[in-house]
Amino acid sequence: MAETLASFEPIMRLPLPFCCPSGFTLALRLLFVLLLGTGSVFRAAAQAPDYLPYYSKDTLRVAQLAATQRAAVKTYFALPKEGNSAYRDHYRQVVQEAARDVYNSIRYSALLDPVIEPFVQQVFARILKANPQLPAGTRLVLTRNPEPNAHAVGNGIVMLNVGLLPRLENESQLAFILCHELAHVACHHMENGLHEHLTTLHSKDMKREIRRIIDSEYNISSQIKALALGFSLNTNYHRRRHEKQADSLGYVLLARTTYDAPQAYRALQLLDTIDEPETTASLPLASYFSCADFPKTFAPVPDKPTSIFTVQKTATALETTDTLKSHPDCAKRMRFLHTLAQGRVAEGPQPASSPEFARIRYVSRLEVIQSWFDYDCYDHALFEALLLLPQQPGNAYLHSVVQLSLYELRQHLQDHTYSEVVSNKSTRNPKNFNELIHVLHGLSYDDFRGLSTCFAQATGAAPAAPADEYALAARYASTSLTSEATAAVVLKEQYQKQYSGGKFDKLLFPAPAKAVRR
Amino acid sequence: MFFTKHSALTAVFALAVAAASAQTKTVDGIQNMRHSALSPIYAGNEVKGYLMFGRGDKADRKNDNYLLDFYDQDLAKVSNVTVQKPSGRFTLLDNSFNGSAFAFYFFNSKDETLELETYDTSLKKLGTKVIGELTKGDKMMIANQQKLEDPSAGGMMGSGMSLFPVPGQGFVRNGYTGLMKGYTLAMYDDKLQMKWRVTSPENSKQYETVGITEASDKYLLGMMMRRDGLMSRTINASMVAFDVATGKKVLDQPVETSKTEQLSLSSFSFDPEKREFVAVGEYYKPDDKPFVNKSLGFYIKRFNEQGKVVSTKNYGWQREVASLMPAEAKPSLEDNYVNYTHSITKGADGKVYIVSEQYKVVGDGLGIAMTALGGRGANVTKGKIGNLFVYEIDPQGKLTGVKFYAKDPSTATLPAGSSYMSAGIIGHIMKMQGDFDYQFLQKNDANTQFNAVYINFDKEKGAATKRVIGDIAFGNNGKYAVDKIDMTSDANYSYLYPAKPGYVMIADYYKKKNQLGMKLVKLNI
Ligand SMILES: [Zn+2]
Repeated sequence: MAETLASFEPIMRLPLPFCCPSGFTLALRLLFVLLLGTGSVFRAAAQAPDYLPYYSKDTLRVAQLAATQRAAVKTYFALPKEGNSAYRDHYRQVVQEAARDVYNSIRYSALLDPVIEPFVQQVFARILKANPQLPAGTRLVLTRNPEPNAHAVGNGIVMLNVGLLPRLENESQLAFILCHELAHVACHHMENGLHEHLTTLHSKDMKREIRRIIDSEYNISSQIKALALGFSLNTNYHRRRHEKQADSLGYVLLARTTYDAPQAYRALQLLDTIDEPETTASLPLASYFSCADFPKTFAPVPDKPTSIFTVQKTATALETTDTLKSHPDCAKRMRFLHTLAQGRVAEGPQPASSPEFARIRYVSRLEVIQSWFDYDCYDHALFEALLLLPQQPGNAYLHSVVQLSLYELRQHLQDHTYSEVVSNKSTRNPKNFNELIHVLHGLSYDDFRGLSTCFAQATGAAPAAPADEYALAARYASTSLTSEATAAVVLKEQYQKQYSGGKFDKLLFPAPAKAVRR
Repeated sequence: MFFTKHSALTAVFALAVAAASAQTKTVDGIQNMRHSALSPIYAGNEVKGYLMFGRGDKADRKNDNYLLDFYDQDLAKVSNVTVQKPSGRFTLLDNSFNGSAFAFYFFNSKDETLELETYDTSLKKLGTKVIGELTKGDKMMIANQQKLEDPSAGGMMGSGMSLFPVPGQGFVRNGYTGLMKGYTLAMYDDKLQMKWRVTSPENSKQYETVGITEASDKYLLGMMMRRDGLMSRTINASMVAFDVATGKKVLDQPVETSKTEQLSLSSFSFDPEKREFVAVGEYYKPDDKPFVNKSLGFYIKRFNEQGKVVSTKNYGWQREVASLMPAEAKPSLEDNYVNYTHSITKGADGKVYIVSEQYKVVGDGLGIAMTALGGRGANVTKGKIGNLFVYEIDPQGKLTGVKFYAKDPSTATLPAGSSYMSAGIIGHIMKMQGDFDYQFLQKNDANTQFNAVYINFDKEKGAATKRVIGDIAFGNNGKYAVDKIDMTSDANYSYLYPAKPGYVMIADYYKKKNQLGMKLVKLNI
């Protein structure tokens, strides 16, 4: 859980496992999705699934919220009186960017659904009530971001990614994470950090050093790199110090509530392994995507190295300096918290979640799947859907999202943008995710017909009439993948009539001009 | 790639960890970008990485830091090597990987030397070799080669000075004696110890140049061009092969003359399974002239390792080919086009595929008249490039398929006197000049899937030339598929490179942003 002031410290940003090229594109895609809806999700008929990802044509609420918070960031980070002009210019620039980022992330990704959002808000309210000394104007925003994370913005906004919720075991763990972020706010970490950062950057020393490097004429590049490294080491040092403070104060804030304080330790323990998927077992790809009509074999991913290079990755100073490592740092934080809690900590898997929290975890998981899809990360959407499917074999929404992902993948293959929506294999990915993308990399256009056919067979007969917008869109997708175009046209017309300007309208039926992309 | 004051400040923020998962890569701070700045690294058939060569900042008063950046086949950065060499006077001529070592071939224009460096797969340096005393011929070729590297030229360029990888054994370097009077070939091991060196005979009356086409475990293959003088318009081509272990010439077989027919040579390769040399070209009536008269067909001649012809197969346009020729190809066949064979490849199933492209010399009325009147014919001879063919021949040598791929014609400017040269020679000149639309053939290591990649320059009326990448896929599954990728973008320059099987790589350079974007594009086949 990092404190970030939007683009204030790009150096410490964690690499996002997004397959997509930039946050900007993500925002744009979400913009398309959000702008173009009028159909109601709850137009459900008899076979309605128990939950469908939230979608509303009303964008006024998020727009207002985004504008308010943008203004709040600007007000809060008023231009300081001190500092030289370079400092002040830079400060202004950082605040502008932060305000814009806050606006965009709320406007295009805030999740104002009727189930999860009220739940997290009441947890947040309980914390505030128990801690009246916290600064006024703090606010929680739930976002559709599928990454398991949360962060605080200086003026008191705590951004909670929906991707974090399925990874927690109970409400108390969520409460600790919110307390940790509130602690960042209370300690003014963002503004202090920004001040320290800019002061160092625009200090006489730094200027002199940069001038010296440029004047030296030679090997400027490596000298600048060394300087920048020193600078990030320093920044990271401060960041670690802030995290420790936030844990410590966060624990105190949590202890004042009626939540279970020992869960703070367990929350850190969960964060330590947050990059691992729910299960490490291989996805049952053959049982979903191979059948008599398309007898595909899913060969195991070859172990032989694909690289001709045998270069040993030498860790950079940022990675090796013990106190600065980002992950083992979690172990340190846990030890620190253990001491702080005088050993009264919860460790290892906790008892089953309460029915209420279990429901929140479950619906969040569906929201996460839909987010990956909306972010054009069809590999992640498929992965998450296929992970959940064995537990929920009859879940019509999961069936829909798989068919829709296959359809979108084939569209991107046709448009030559496939590489932009399917990740690379990487040692940082879970093994079962690498297995899936290995399969995706090897697919050809015609394969999608077979995959879709087999998947439809494996998941059982679909109801005669699609029960909801997702099911109808998926029916269009699978029909396009497996049948002649005429059959799909009927479904397209049905969708456009029934869900005019609906969630999938622009995505599935783009205007012809959009065809020119590479 | 050097730092102004402004970029020095931005560099402080540029250490952000890149999102490494997409099969794309953005490199900042690139001040200029040519096609040759990036080159694919092959291991066997497959692209296993890319090398980016560029000039960095100053190292000292006299030298610059030159950067060799290595990327793997998924565009993930592997590592980099920095060498300090004379400022602005150091260029990369070629890179090559032989399975155990990387070799880089540089030209140091300050010292007028050629420099070779080899590295192992962990990028530890293995050897260095400086070659001084360059001949006039060497210098001419280098100058020529560098002229062709103009960014706007795009496409491939000829390889005047190159380094051929010999799998597991080392590298072969070619050179020229005198003013292109003869050739030299030198073989080095991975540590750049010279193993042998051969030079064309001193007493040869003729001018001899050799273009290496292939290096196998045993032979170094090439096409030898012999002329009476440097400006001579008659060039005779021979197929030559050298023993890789000793440099001894083991085959020297003229192809363009025969008692019964006139031949042109398009391609010469070695078939390691049958241990035979394979020559492909077109045949004409003995008295007919290429371009003036139509060729009768194409031939495949096979020679054993002793240079004896073991088989000759003729595929006549009016006979074997006509029955398989698609109707839409017929008009272009009436149009005096001949075929340039770009690649001959054998699939794992024994089938042989020949990819060829049509070309011809077009008469520029005024130019021909000027030439006829004895005027200087500079730039008057134009070449025209037509459509693509893929011929499929079964393991028994029977022609089993002719595939025709129409594309927009493009033109080439040929050197003076070209109209007197034979069809085969003109084809090689056009190939050397990078005039063809065909770019490269990609094959997988199993030899089951092939992609012939070309660029179609679609000159629509009034609109800027549209560049469309064409890909013809064929192989074991027996299917032929075509994929077309629109290369149009808002980049200042877009370059196309080979990539891992099933992909091509496109690099877009944005001058204003000093940014290079590389991306792998999965072929829709
Ligand atoms: Zn934190």
